[in-house]
Formats: sequence, structure tokens, C-alpha cells
Amino acid sequence: MSSRGIKQFIFSSLIASLSIAMAGGLFLSTWKIKEGAQKSFKLSSSGFDAVLGARGSKLQLILNAIFHLEASPGNLDWEQYELIKNTRGVKEAYPLAVGDNYMGFRIVGTIPSLLTEHEWQEDTQYELNRGGRVFSESNKEAVVGSFVSSRLGLKVGDTFHPYHGLTFNESSKHDDIYVVVGILSATGTPADKVIWVPIKGIQHMEGHATEYANSISAVLVKFKGIAAGMELSMKYNRQGNQATLAWPIASTLADFFKRLAWFEEILKAIAYLIALMSSLIILATLRNSMNERKRDFAILRCLGAGRTFVTQVVLVQSLIISFMGAMGSFLIYFFVNTIASYFIRKETGVMLEPFTLDLNAWYVFLTIIFLGLVSGIPPAISAYRVDISKNLQHTT
Amino acid sequence: MLKVSHLKKSFVSPERENIKVVDIDNFSLKNSEFCGMRGESGSGKTTFLHLLAGILSPDDGVIELEGQNTVDLNSSEKDSLRAGTIGYVFQSFNLLQGFSCIENLKLAMSFGSNYSESYAEDLLKKVGLAHRLSYKPSQLSIGQQQRVALARALVNKPKLVLADEPTGNLDSKNAKNAINLLCELCRETETALLVVSHDERVVSNFDRQVDWNEINNTDSEG
Repeated sequence: MSSRGIKQFIFSSLIASLSIAMAGGLFLSTWKIKEGAQKSFKLSSSGFDAVLGARGSKLQLILNAIFHLEASPGNLDWEQYELIKNTRGVKEAYPLAVGDNYMGFRIVGTIPSLLTEHEWQEDTQYELNRGGRVFSESNKEAVVGSFVSSRLGLKVGDTFHPYHGLTFNESSKHDDIYVVVGILSATGTPADKVIWVPIKGIQHMEGHATEYANSISAVLVKFKGIAAGMELSMKYNRQGNQATLAWPIASTLADFFKRLAWFEEILKAIAYLIALMSSLIILATLRNSMNERKRDFAILRCLGAGRTFVTQVVLVQSLIISFMGAMGSFLIYFFVNTIASYFIRKETGVMLEPFTLDLNAWYVFLTIIFLGLVSGIPPAISAYRVDISKNLQHTT
Repeated sequence: MLKVSHLKKSFVSPERENIKVVDIDNFSLKNSEFCGMRGESGSGKTTFLHLLAGILSPDDGVIELEGQNTVDLNSSEKDSLRAGTIGYVFQSFNLLQGFSCIENLKLAMSFGSNYSESYAEDLLKKVGLAHRLSYKPSQLSIGQQQRVALARALVNKPKLVLADEPTGNLDSKNAKNAINLLCELCRETETALLVVSHDERVVSNFDRQVDWNEINNTDSEG
């Protein structure tokens, strides 16, 4: 009976469902993408507290060294790495050298211990897929991030030529040949998006200027405690003029997100407005259909249908509309999230999960159903109160 | 099977006047009895049927159906009464337009206690609509629609069928057929039948004929 009602008023029912789907989809997308992005960006700090790099913007340093984005603001001498590594209060320090790519994916030179000892999140070290190992410091070997591996089909034993520069240009191929010795298990961080090689490989790559043999792009640093961070921040950022210490990474990223907060608020406000509009549309749809269906309900009552039955018909109808809307909102969320993930990954290197339905998503789902149900209450009351005698045509 | 005594029903007009529509001292119907009730349009016959069916509540009086005073029943008991004991036929058929012939019958059946798809199909076959089971009312002729309405009224094997101007929308040939069919179906199922109509030709089909104005003690003309 309820589905017939929807069929009878298919256009307005679909409009109601679509507007619910838009509201829910927009709300879910805004919320989940923000949540996912923040989570992914937080994870993507890869267990480091600071980045030491050439004098320049902290955000650029982080984007370059952690997210493998943008160009490096400049180079540091190897001694700078040695110096910070041996500073009291520094727990870990790993040099990075960038400047080459393979098929558009960045090749990052570092030392093997980054992949064997460092915990990229608490109690979690990088892992290699079965059959792989970490590159040796002095060989032309590579460990490939999981995303690169799946995109390029690289597997252990494959070889490749690096290309000069951070963007792929066929004419700038290096003569060096690297062998893939390991595939990194997926972490969902920018580490999946790069090809890891020994730092000496980048420094001594055929075609690179000799002065690069002793230079690095940045140093990833983990402190023993906050005091070291403060001390070194003072040393590099206030007193020195050779290098910049981007510390703490989390607060630099938080500032970055704060700059985007207004956009999120606007999207949320739009989603709330659409949600309100959707409720009103359901109400209007059901009310309109009620006016035309009063006679049907009167006939049903005359045939023996109880008040509860006709009330349920209207409520179920509103539930069906809101259920379709809720399912549609997941669909819209799926598409928006997929597109957003693609652009976020493309632009920032951070990979969001394409479609996740966690508890919060189900709360949104239930809220939509609840809203639909609430919107159906006034017309349901009207159905409950339908005057059989008045609404049956013809009296004698 | 049906005994009505001292039944009264009034309405308040838009001019706030109290209009007495039904005032019947006594009226009764035996088991399986057929009765034709003649009365002018707007004289309160439909209101009387609505009172019998429990759609309206009387101001006063007793309606005893199968030994039970239906006036005292609560809303859901009246629903059950309409679903199981009373079949109703309307002038304008009142079929549910979104549903096919068979669905109209099955829906009515779902409110009763003896749901049987085969019985619904048999009834439609009996009224000559075996080949139109899945047709929507709008795809049927007026005469066919009335036959569906007759079948629907009987689908729950009621004890009493109330027919309110059942031929009002039909031409004379279809009207005659409809009345014959209604009588035949009620006879087969031993159902009592009360047909109200303004049409003398319809009422003349019944052995027992009642003049509405004679049993209803009001001056109402409309």
C-alpha cells in the first residue's frame, strides 16, 4: 500500500528522496572527508616531530619531506644531518634526497634504517610484502611503495631507469638501473606513493651535478622530548639563518586545516539547510498525497482497515522515501568521496579510504530515517483521523 | 440477524442548526433476507447505512447485529465488524485505482480472517472477470467495475451486505444485471442483503420492500 502510494506520486517522492540524498550525501562527504583527511594527514606525519630543511616555509618543508609534494625549498649539507643526528635530545634523524622520479612517482633517497627501525605510527614499523627486503645502502636497489607497485605493476626483481626531475619527462632518463628488492606493505600514507632508494643512489646518480654528492633535501627528526624541539626550533629558526626546523609538524598542519575550516562550515550549513528542506519536501509530498488519498483511506477503513493500518501506510511511505534518500546519500557520499580522494591523493599524496561506513555514517543514516519518520507524522495523524463518512463520495 | 431500535442521528448544519437525519423506531432483517429500501436522494439513507456499518456513531439507539449491540463497540471492534461481518457496495464503486481487480479483493480480504487467494479468484470468475484479474479499475468498463465491487463486498463471506445505490452509475441493462448478480451471490452464500436506492425499478426486484420515509421519522428532504 505504501509502495503504491509512492508509485502514485512517483515524481514528488523521487524529488523528496533526491533532496534527502543530497543533504545526507553532502553532510557525510563534508564530515567524512574532513575526518579522513585529518586522520590521514595526522598519520602521514609518519611518526616524526620535525623536518629540518633549507631556509623557507615550514609548510613547504613538511609538504616536501613528509607528503612528497612540491619542490624542495633547497638543499642542506650532509654535515647538517650529522649535526642534528648527534644533538642531545634527538632520538632519530633520517636524511632525505629527492630530485628524480619514475613514471611520475617520486624517487626518495634515504638510509635503510628508516624502513627497518623507525615506527611510522606507535609500535608500527614499515613492513615489506613477503619475498622482499630493504635496499642495501651501497647498491642500486629500490623498495617500492604499495600504491606505486599496484599502479606500475612493479614487483621484486623488476628493474627500472630513474628519470630526472620530479615530473616525468621521457627525455630525461638516467642511465642507472635500479632493481626492485621489496614492496612496502600499504600504510595509507604518502610513503606508499614513492620509490625508496639508498640516499647515495640519488646523490651519485649519473647526470647529477657533483656538488649534490654531499647534499640532502631534508632531515626527518624525532625528538626524545618536547624540550629538544623547543631548543632546536630556537636555534634554527630564531638564531640561525641557514636552515628551518618545521616543528611541531602537527601544529603546522593544524594551522593549515584551520585555514580551510570556513569552507567546511559553509558546506555543513548548506547540508543542514538541505536537510531541513528535505524534511519539508517529505512533509509536502505526503500531505499532497494525503489530500488525494483520503478517499482511498476512507475506502480501506470501510473495508475494515484499522486506524493503525492507515497510519502505518503513511509512516512506511515516509520511511521508504527517507530510506531511498539515505541509500542515495551513501551513493552520493561514495561518488564525492571517490572524487575527493582522487584529488586529495593527486594534490597531497595522502590517500583516503574510498568508501568507509563506520558507526558515524550509520548514525547519519538513522538520523535521515528519523527525520523522514518525523516528517511523516503530521500526514500520518491526518490519515489516522480520516473521516470515513465524509470522504466516501455520494450520499443519499 | 439485524435489529435496529430507536436509532437517532443528527448533524449540525453550517448555520448551526441541528438537523435530524435518522430517527428509526424499529427495523429488522432476518438471516439471508433480502430487502430493498426506497427513498429520495439526500434523505439520509447513506447515513443509515453508515450507522449500520459502524462508520458513524448514533446519537441514540441500538443496532443489534448477530445479537451484539454494535453501538457499544470500540473503534477497532467496529473495524473488525466491517472486515468480517459486513460487506459494502457503493454507488461509485470506490475501487482502489492503484490496484488490480484481484488486488482490490485481496486487500479487502487481508482485513478479514479467511484469506484465500483462490476464493478471491473464484469470486472474480463468478462475476465474469476471469480474464481481467490483473486489470486496473480504469481499464475496465463501468459495468465490470461494479462487478468487481460486488465481488469485493462478498470476499470476506459477510453475514450482511449493505448496498448503497449500487446501480446509480449504471445503465438500465447493467443495473438489472448487477442486481441479479448481487442477489445470486448473496443467495449462494446465504448473506442478508439491504439495498437502498431512489430507483423504484431497483427496489421492485425484492420481495421485501421498505419505504425509507415510512420508517424514518424525520422531515428531512436532503
